[in-house]
Amino acid sequence: MNSYVLLIAIFLPILGGILTGIIPFKGRTTRNIFVETVVILTSIVMWTIIINKPQGSFEVLKFTGDLVFAFKMDGLGMIFAGLISALWPLATLYSFEYMEKEEREGTFFMFYTITYGVTLGISLSGNLMTMYLFYEMLTIVTVPLVLHTLTREAILASRTYLYYSLGGAAFGFIGFIFVLVYGTSLDFVYGGVLDPGKIGDRGNVLLLIYVLAFLGFGVKAAICPFNKWLPQAGVAPTPVTALLHAVAVVKSGAFAIMRITYYSFGPDFLRGTWAQYTVMAIAIFTIIYGSARALKETHFKRRLAYSTIGNLSYILFGVTIMTPLGLFGALCHMVFHAVMKIASFFCAGAVISKTERTYVFELNGLGKHMPMTFGIFTISGLALMGVPGLCGFVSKWYLAEAAVSSENVLAYVGIGALLISAILTAVYTMTISVRAFFPGKDFDDSVNLGVKEAGVRMLLPLCIFAVCIIVFGVYSKPLTDLLLSVAMGGM
Amino acid sequence: MNTHLLGFILIPIIMAFVVYAIGRKSKEIRNVMAVATTLAVFLASFYFFAGFFFGKMSPFELRLPDICGLKFHLMMDGFRALYITIASFMWLVCTAFAVEYNRIYHNRNRYYLFILWTLGATMGVFLSADLGTTFIFFEMASLTSYVWVAQQESKEALRAAETYLAVAVIGGLVMLMGLLMLNNITGTLEIDELRGVCEGLMGDKKLLAAGMCIFWGFAAKAGAFPVHIWLPKAHPVAPAPASALLSGMLTKVGVFGVLVVSSQIFFGDATWGKFVLIVGTITMFLGAFLAVLSTDMKRTLACSSVSQIGFILIGVSMQCLLGEENALAVRGTLLYMVNHSLFKLVLFLVAGVVFMNLHKLDFNIIKGFGRNKKILKYIYLCAALGIAGVPFFSGYVSKTLVHEAMVEYMNLSPASYNPGIKLVEWLFLISGGMTLAYMTKLYVVVFVEKNADEALQAKYDGMKPYMNMGNRILLAFSATIFVVLGVLPNWLFDRVADMGQSFMGLTEFEETVHYFSWENLQGSLTSIIFGVCIYFGVVRSVLRKKDGTYINPWPAKLDLEDSFYRPLLKVVAIILEIFSKIFDKLVDWTVILLRKSLLKESPIPFELTEGNALTYKVGSLLDGLKAMFTGEEEKYEGSFKHRLAMMYEKADEMSVIVTRSLSFGLIFFCLGLVFTIVYMLWFR
Repeated sequence: MNSYVLLIAIFLPILGGILTGIIPFKGRTTRNIFVETVVILTSIVMWTIIINKPQGSFEVLKFTGDLVFAFKMDGLGMIFAGLISALWPLATLYSFEYMEKEEREGTFFMFYTITYGVTLGISLSGNLMTMYLFYEMLTIVTVPLVLHTLTREAILASRTYLYYSLGGAAFGFIGFIFVLVYGTSLDFVYGGVLDPGKIGDRGNVLLLIYVLAFLGFGVKAAICPFNKWLPQAGVAPTPVTALLHAVAVVKSGAFAIMRITYYSFGPDFLRGTWAQYTVMAIAIFTIIYGSARALKETHFKRRLAYSTIGNLSYILFGVTIMTPLGLFGALCHMVFHAVMKIASFFCAGAVISKTERTYVFELNGLGKHMPMTFGIFTISGLALMGVPGLCGFVSKWYLAEAAVSSENVLAYVGIGALLISAILTAVYTMTISVRAFFPGKDFDDSVNLGVKEAGVRMLLPLCIFAVCIIVFGVYSKPLTDLLLSVAMGGM
Repeated sequence: MNTHLLGFILIPIIMAFVVYAIGRKSKEIRNVMAVATTLAVFLASFYFFAGFFFGKMSPFELRLPDICGLKFHLMMDGFRALYITIASFMWLVCTAFAVEYNRIYHNRNRYYLFILWTLGATMGVFLSADLGTTFIFFEMASLTSYVWVAQQESKEALRAAETYLAVAVIGGLVMLMGLLMLNNITGTLEIDELRGVCEGLMGDKKLLAAGMCIFWGFAAKAGAFPVHIWLPKAHPVAPAPASALLSGMLTKVGVFGVLVVSSQIFFGDATWGKFVLIVGTITMFLGAFLAVLSTDMKRTLACSSVSQIGFILIGVSMQCLLGEENALAVRGTLLYMVNHSLFKLVLFLVAGVVFMNLHKLDFNIIKGFGRNKKILKYIYLCAALGIAGVPFFSGYVSKTLVHEAMVEYMNLSPASYNPGIKLVEWLFLISGGMTLAYMTKLYVVVFVEKNADEALQAKYDGMKPYMNMGNRILLAFSATIFVVLGVLPNWLFDRVADMGQSFMGLTEFEETVHYFSWENLQGSLTSIIFGVCIYFGVVRSVLRKKDGTYINPWPAKLDLEDSFYRPLLKVVAIILEIFSKIFDKLVDWTVILLRKSLLKESPIPFELTEGNALTYKVGSLLDGLKAMFTGEEEKYEGSFKHRLAMMYEKADEMSVIVTRSLSFGLIFFCLGLVFTIVYMLWFR
């Protein structure tokens, strides 16, 4: 298969999204069918590409010298693209029911679909420059989604989001320039592209630049202290919070960090240096920070957002171990966390859309009325905690194993952080489940009168995610083998 | 492939859903289904038990690679067959008993769902042959049994359940840490391989750390001091059948792990053995002490569980300390576990009968309930005398074996003899005495003494039927086992021990123990004498007031959970909160700081009506100075500000005129000429 098909996967949803905005649809149903068709088509194209594995890169534009606009699908990009394209159709299906209550559905679906293409663009980028361009584009196309409700809060949140993201990308840009100057090329090559001849005795400067780039791209991955935008962006409609702020956008940040660490700067150059210790310490700190903040947060969606902050740093922790096994753990958690977190966010969304309750203390006794929703929430909560038999355990186990085998002292601290965070996770997810299912003997059920279970378009994606959580938790050998081979540098 | 082993785990789990679904339609069919499921599991287990008991079967295993990211390895051997049989027997009795008992509760569907799930998980733990597999099912059992404790949904129940969950989660994670380290050190988590690998690593600090983590993870479930806190809270609030299972089976799940750690990883390690011995002794004594003081039926039994776990831990430590000569200890520990499971099953169900009728468990209220209930009396007595270790009841056999092992340890290694071990022996006997004392106390309260309220006593006496026929037969049958086992120890118990001992690495045991020899009876009799003294000396005279009411002098404030663990967690939470709040604001503060300092916006220049910035500033300064000295403010015309501005403007005008004039140009021209001439004259 020729690699130009990559362009189809990227530009189909972008075009489809723009058309959604332009075409004057007669009714909601027609538009929804159009949107879902575009999304499913894209996913089919993407999966066909993944199965056929086109070789080589496709150069679209050549600016000058090394600056080439090119697409290529390698192992890492394949994982991310596969993950995104598996989740998007389900999330779109879910958002149809959710968005019925909201205004400006057309605009919403337009940007929602465009984001799909842009995210695929990030994952299929062939070099640092292409990725950087799509990375900036991602910020811009997602701002309208955060802004969607147009309330004061939303405007504030989207401003914060914009400032943080653009500021972060600027630091990323510095990294990009240095790789351009000190590397052999801008292409992604497993093991890094830095040219030892060019570096000379300027190793420390490059390490500093790596830390800056890490922090810059880390803004999207919500590392502490650049995480403020993420909980604030929770004002967006739940499908956005669930898919973009738990998977697409934030994992683009983590993905970019994987790229610069393993494919640009190279783990061999970074391992054992102060730069590694710095970024690892930041990741470990964010793990504790995110979980601790989630514990204290009483707003349902914001609590999950803080949990995302902690969990993203699990991924980054794996990345900063700077061994293939570390990357493997990180990839596992990237995939599994996506499933778990999207499931829990969708549960929160179902509760919000059916009861309009947004705070944890308002959830008492709802388990009886929405058993499926809260049952699945409990499963995803247990998975986040890392209970064996559910997928969260598998990735945590691999992360911890990678940390132990790396013989890095700080990595041991990281394992401690993972365990503490697991305890905190247990508290902040289980309190919700316990409230919902065990409201206490004297609980007056009349406040929940008339609360109904979510509809089938919401429950279907939820059930699929729940099944995935359990299936991957029990048997994930084919998937983990694939991830391992990618992490080792193979296809 | 021996995939049928999976059936033990999967059938209860799948049936749980079925039972739940049926329960929404019909309660009767649900009850029958639940009992049928446990019966099926029991019969299947019993088939293997019989196979190993008569030596017709040899161990076999099932390996499934890569389940849950770990090596999945199940095994069936004598010990495992024995323990799954006991577990499924307990489940069977409890599920059958619950049919009548649970009428007092709501949400029974939920109860059945989780009770069957836990059955599957418990089977998994006992069948596991790889610590990773053990961990999977251990966590599952911990989490599913949460619902049992919370079942009532009363305030105390929810609080106890919270504690239970916290201990389970933290214990599980500590264990996970240990497993990770162990896996890194030894490269294997296979229970049978560990002893061989670890022998070469004795004394390794890392191994010790790993072992400690795993030990505490399991010990939290077993209820060892100081992580026993959940036990006395959770047992009284759970429904009685669930308490029986919690105490009889789930604590054994913990003991199972402790056994693996002590007999496989640290086999023959004296330091480890002493450590377990100390933990066990404290647990044993403290539990018994609290049980003597308690004035609540289920709390007494819960504390008794803690104490009995202490006895078992002493047995475990002995088999570790004695090394190759540990036969008595191994068999004693094994039989003690079996006995305790069965005793607690019966005792908690007796408490269940009381609660089912009275909805109360306080001694001063339930007093006199069982005065004319002969069958209940018989059932209780069998179990109570058994647990107290009175000869001719089954508890005597296991207690004697553990005691003998202790004596053997003292005799065998005079070099390692120290007064400590003698103290432990005395505490062992005293705790045995206390067991008898609190069991007698309970007996006297429920079955002998009359209630202070005569109307109430009359009501109690007239209560019929207080339990249905099925349950009577079930309990009486269970209780009779103790007598049979106790009277014929060599016939049944020895063979059970033969069956299970290979789990702890013991292969041969040739000698016959004469259980009823004078030497062995001595220990038991000492205990009984202690018991009688404690009962009359402490319980009757101190804990029982003149009017017959019982008091618990233990100060409520002295509670490890309320006064230590919870405050500790609170402090940690507060520190974390402060910490995270700071980092929450960090970027904001940095931005604000930068805006106030480096990136300060320049002030908008305001138009001066006259003069320039310098004259304005100097003028204001002079004005200010003048005002300070003279004390009066100058009028605008006279102010320095104005005057300086005027001067400036004049100078400005002048300079314009001067610079534009011809003469100004000429002056510069002349100056230029002068310089040139001076230069030429001077330097040349």
